[in-house]
Amino acid sequence: MVPVLVARGLVKSYRRRRIVDRVDLAVEPGERVAVLGPNGAGKTTTLLMCLGVVRPDAGTVAIAGHHLPRERAAARARVGFAAGYLPMPDRIRVREYLAVYGRLHGLDDVGERATAALRRFGIEHLASAMAAELSSGQKTLVGIVKATLHEPPLLVLDEPTASLDPDVANRVRAGLTDLCGPGRAALLLTSHNTTEVERLADRVVFLSDGRVVANDAPARVAAQFGGKDLEDVFLRLAGSPVGTER
Amino acid sequence: MTAAKPTTGVRSRLVRVAAVSHRHFLVLRRSPHRFFDITVLPFVDSLLFGSLGTFIAREGGSGRTTAAYLLAGIVLWHILYQAQIAVSTGFLDEISSRNLLSMMVTPIREAEYLAGLALVGLAKLVLAVAGVSAAAFLLYAFDVTTLGVGLVPIAAVLVVAGWALGLFVIGLVLRFGAGAEAFAWGIMFLIMPLSGVFYSRQSLPAFLQPVSAALPTTHAFAAGRSLLSDDAFPWHDFRLAAITTALLAALAVAFVVRAFTVFLRRGHITRHM
Repeated sequence: MVPVLVARGLVKSYRRRRIVDRVDLAVEPGERVAVLGPNGAGKTTTLLMCLGVVRPDAGTVAIAGHHLPRERAAARARVGFAAGYLPMPDRIRVREYLAVYGRLHGLDDVGERATAALRRFGIEHLASAMAAELSSGQKTLVGIVKATLHEPPLLVLDEPTASLDPDVANRVRAGLTDLCGPGRAALLLTSHNTTEVERLADRVVFLSDGRVVANDAPARVAAQFGGKDLEDVFLRLAGSPVGTER
Repeated sequence: MTAAKPTTGVRSRLVRVAAVSHRHFLVLRRSPHRFFDITVLPFVDSLLFGSLGTFIAREGGSGRTTAAYLLAGIVLWHILYQAQIAVSTGFLDEISSRNLLSMMVTPIREAEYLAGLALVGLAKLVLAVAGVSAAAFLLYAFDVTTLGVGLVPIAAVLVVAGWALGLFVIGLVLRFGAGAEAFAWGIMFLIMPLSGVFYSRQSLPAFLQPVSAALPTTHAFAAGRSLLSDDAFPWHDFRLAAITTALLAALAVAFVVRAFTVFLRRGHITRHM
């Protein structure tokens, strides 16, 4: 089977500072992969290069066998993207927003799909709500629903639960577990929540200073660095005391 | 997980163009302040230039000609202005609502996105030009249809020129960020006097006349004025307008493609997240 994502040798520098340094990343169908690392490790830049919205200085990206940037339309038809920091635009209702994105993905039955996707995340009651009436957490949920609407083989989520309360975050994780896994969509996510990563991911790609320093199952990564869990590894690799950011 | 829908084919492309237009229509419908550009401004312009023309006519004894010149000019100006501003502000709305990244991670191609914006722009243009024409007729008895069918190709050239100017604004925003939004309105204040909307380019200071001659809008407005006074269609001015508009459009496309390439290479999407 063709991997849903293959990124090889990704390099990106800004103002002569190397942000991403020869990163290889592959995601198999149905696999759940988390990219973990401290702030400034290059997680989001790597994700943005994988999505084709930032052009790498070197390296290649293919989504479900479609190479970026040449086959970007076909590649992006096979990926769904949401991020905790991306708001839903104002002056639009949830179902209208989903209808617009459904049509951008060529869906004919967007109404039914939107209803099913909203139900999966327990927010079907928000279908007629205006964006301005939603909390930031609800907007994040709608963003995730939007990303899953066309049932892509690859779901890419950047800090999806960062702005959510524990209950809603749990609902998101349950929805993602339902959506992603063997025989279903693959998941590539970034998160600072190591517990979440341990629960959701089959594999962890740990980035530090733009390089992949570990790439294995969460428990093996913890063992590799002599930590008791991923959080322990995170704190060692980040090299910062608890609660401070780099 | 289902098979991805085809991304090629005319139908798929049209559906995506319509989706972009739909999004911007929804925003427009719920943003009363955005109707200022397509209702109040055309009315105010008709009032201003119609009254100015009437005053000059009374004082100078030039009859109805001056008012007609000014009103024809303002109708044509709104065709250019609305085409440009709709494309520019549509894109700026994507920036201000931080929706650009979400939009970019869909199968839509850049040209389809711009076509969606242009389509919304056409609808706004029709509303605004209908408004300015109606005001000119009701307040000053100036009937824009007296310009004849010759107005149609001249309007088409102005629409394309407006879209091209809109592309330049989009290129500037891609290159310099949301701070460049001032160009969306500012560029028109530069174009208006240089294009001789209400006068021939010979009325400009001598050193500005070559600049004016290089602008497609100058020839389009000259052709529009000729429709008022001449029976024959002003082929010479129209040809110049069409050729220079084609050149401007080619330059605008090249500029926005270049700006988008730099945008991707420098990772400027992070400015809009």
